[in-house]
Amino acid sequence: MTPAPVLHANPGGSVYIPSPARVLRVTRLTEMEKLFELAFLDERPLGHDPGQFVQASALGYGECPISICSSPTQRDRFELCIRRVGRVTNQLHQLAPGAVIGIRGPLGHGFDMHEFHGRDVLVVAGGLGLAPLRSLIQYIVDERARFGQFHLLYGARCPSELLFQEDLVRWRQNPDVNLLITVDRPDEQWRGRNGVVTTLFKDLPKLDPANTNVVIVGPPVMFKFVVLEVLARRIPQSSIYCSLERHMKCGIGKCGHCQANHVYVCMDGPVFKYGELKAMREAME
Amino acid sequence: MLDRMLNHADLIEMLDDLARKRRLVGPVRRGERFLYEEVTDPRQLDLLFTYCVFGPRSYLFPPVETLFTFESENGAFRAKPMLDARPLALIGVHPCDLHAIALLDHVFGHEHADEHYLTRRRHTFIVGMDCGRPCTEGVFCADMGCHDTESGFDLMLHLLGEKANGHARYGVRFGTPEGRQWVLYGRRSEVPTLDDERAFDRAQREKAAAFSRRIKTPAEELPALLDRSYDSLLWEATARRCYSCGSCNLSCPTCYCFNILDDLSLDGSQGTRRREWDGCQIKSFATVAGPHNFRPKAASRLRHRIYRKAKWIREKTGLPGCVGCARCDRACTAKINSVEIYNQLAEEV
Ligand SMILES: Cc1cc2nc3c(=O)[nH]c(=O)nc-3n(C[C@H](O)[C@H](O)[C@H](O)COP(=O)(O)OP(=O)(O)OC[C@H]3O[C@@H](n4cnc5c(N)ncnc54)[C@H](O)[C@@H]3O)c2cc1C
Ligand code: SF4
Ligand code: SF4
Ligand code: FES
Repeated sequence: MTPAPVLHANPGGSVYIPSPARVLRVTRLTEMEKLFELAFLDERPLGHDPGQFVQASALGYGECPISICSSPTQRDRFELCIRRVGRVTNQLHQLAPGAVIGIRGPLGHGFDMHEFHGRDVLVVAGGLGLAPLRSLIQYIVDERARFGQFHLLYGARCPSELLFQEDLVRWRQNPDVNLLITVDRPDEQWRGRNGVVTTLFKDLPKLDPANTNVVIVGPPVMFKFVVLEVLARRIPQSSIYCSLERHMKCGIGKCGHCQANHVYVCMDGPVFKYGELKAMREAME
Repeated sequence: MLDRMLNHADLIEMLDDLARKRRLVGPVRRGERFLYEEVTDPRQLDLLFTYCVFGPRSYLFPPVETLFTFESENGAFRAKPMLDARPLALIGVHPCDLHAIALLDHVFGHEHADEHYLTRRRHTFIVGMDCGRPCTEGVFCADMGCHDTESGFDLMLHLLGEKANGHARYGVRFGTPEGRQWVLYGRRSEVPTLDDERAFDRAQREKAAAFSRRIKTPAEELPALLDRSYDSLLWEATARRCYSCGSCNLSCPTCYCFNILDDLSLDGSQGTRRREWDGCQIKSFATVAGPHNFRPKAASRLRHRIYRKAKWIREKTGLPGCVGCARCDRACTAKINSVEIYNQLAEEV
């Protein structure tokens, strides 16, 4: 005789159960991206470091990793910038304010802000790479006195794909931020620079190699060319940071999808120092 | 050292008792093959099995498992975890598979503990069965240090010859207080004689010597060998035959990668989130939006699997990532053989 199944509910007993979070506001950023402002139903703060991510669920459709793109200084709510590419992200794009989604996190390791305090910072973003960096940028803007010079280079494919346009205007007007923007393919109205993001380096003042942290996030192809520019300015490899993207399912070092060589990007990253990547050949391929 | 002796008939009676309290899972003969299956009567088990096509992994980490169910309620949702606490007994687990279970215990028990696995595991009683000899052609468990084990079982059985009545006689080692209690409570076991101890020692020595050592590189040196082999053409050459079918992953007792998927009722009011086994040899495994595949070539996927098995898992957990059961070799559609890969790599440098 086989005993009857004892499948029991143990609330909080599973690391895979997301917490409900309410959509407070949805802003359409471009054709493909929307910005979601969220707060947990139980009102607890997310409590993240810049660079960390969450697993966002549309229950019944699935779950996917999304970077947290608001500053940790904003504690009552948090923001996610989501590009519509497939099943889960399409479903999330249907949601209006008031809807509830599932959130697990914050997950992974973000930027260690102690390594940034008191130093100059150069942030280089390509495309959707601005989303994970917005958390860091906002933090720097909010806590401006803790940092030296701040340069922000941002490249998009075309003007209509520029993310966070309101933020860009605000940062441009802020004398404490040196913001340079370029697009690969300008249109009629575009008055700014054009070319790939590395062309912006010629407009940067001289960087102090001993006192500058560089952060690079963008498509894999961009990374290598930007690193070359940075190394050419004698910035040590130990001062260069990046964030990797991988296929992720669990976000907690179990499912194996996110591995880049020996490293679990979800647990050991997604933020890495350039020096760490040298032992990870797959990181750059 | 043996703790007790048990004969076959008495063991079966004790298992009869156990079957009243737990689901009984063990080796069952199916034609030419043996499979781990759930049985209602311990007489259906064949403890003298050679090897089971799959390890007992699927009873601890099922191929498909519901993680939680949810209901939508006034725009919000309520989720209920599914934890399987049915008492289970795994009967007749060979040392290699005990090592594989130890690895799963580590992975699921470590940081962000996985209660789905751990709940099942906590309710599992394990009766190990020493294979006494290499169970089949091509196994290399001895090379991986997995032909023997000191722990990972509640009790371990060692077949030590036949008694006059034709019934098998087992030497018993206790692994846990529960295992000890079960045997002693059974009141049918005997104290081992000096002859029993001698027979046990002899069997252990003979078993270790019966493996013709097949990997030229000792397991501890495989990480260094792989370090030198990242750019070897052998990955590409071997992977030319690979179908990326993932049979090697599915048959491996230490593979634990999974995918997570949702189901939704038609009216959208309730659903489930489940996980399913996944495998790194399947082409889409590392594909992200774009689409960009971080391991687009069969060669890079094959290298990834071998690195995980022989290097990364060992370095990360201190436990063998491959237990040498050769199930992947036997399952492979393309007859890709991991031992051959190691040996060919060793010849290159
Ligand atoms: C650390 C991290 C941070 C990210 N941050 C953002 C962000 O801020 N904004 C944003 O829009 N996107 C971000 N992404 C990418 C985002 O996770 C994928 O676009 C999303 O998973 C696609 O899910 P989907 O169900 O809509 O697509 P699907 O319909 O499942 O498939 C579309 C494509 O996405 C790939 N994909 C599916 N699931 C995953 C997954 N779990 N992880 C990665 N790729 C997947 C598929 O292989 C396929 O190529 C991030 C990814 C990671 C790993
Ligand atoms: S890699 Fe192959 S030989 Fe090693 S444990 Fe897995 S199936 Fe067995
Ligand atoms: S079983 Fe063989 S053919 Fe299939 S993915 Fe594994 S190595 Fe390739
Ligand atoms: S996402 Fe599952 S292991 Fe990293």
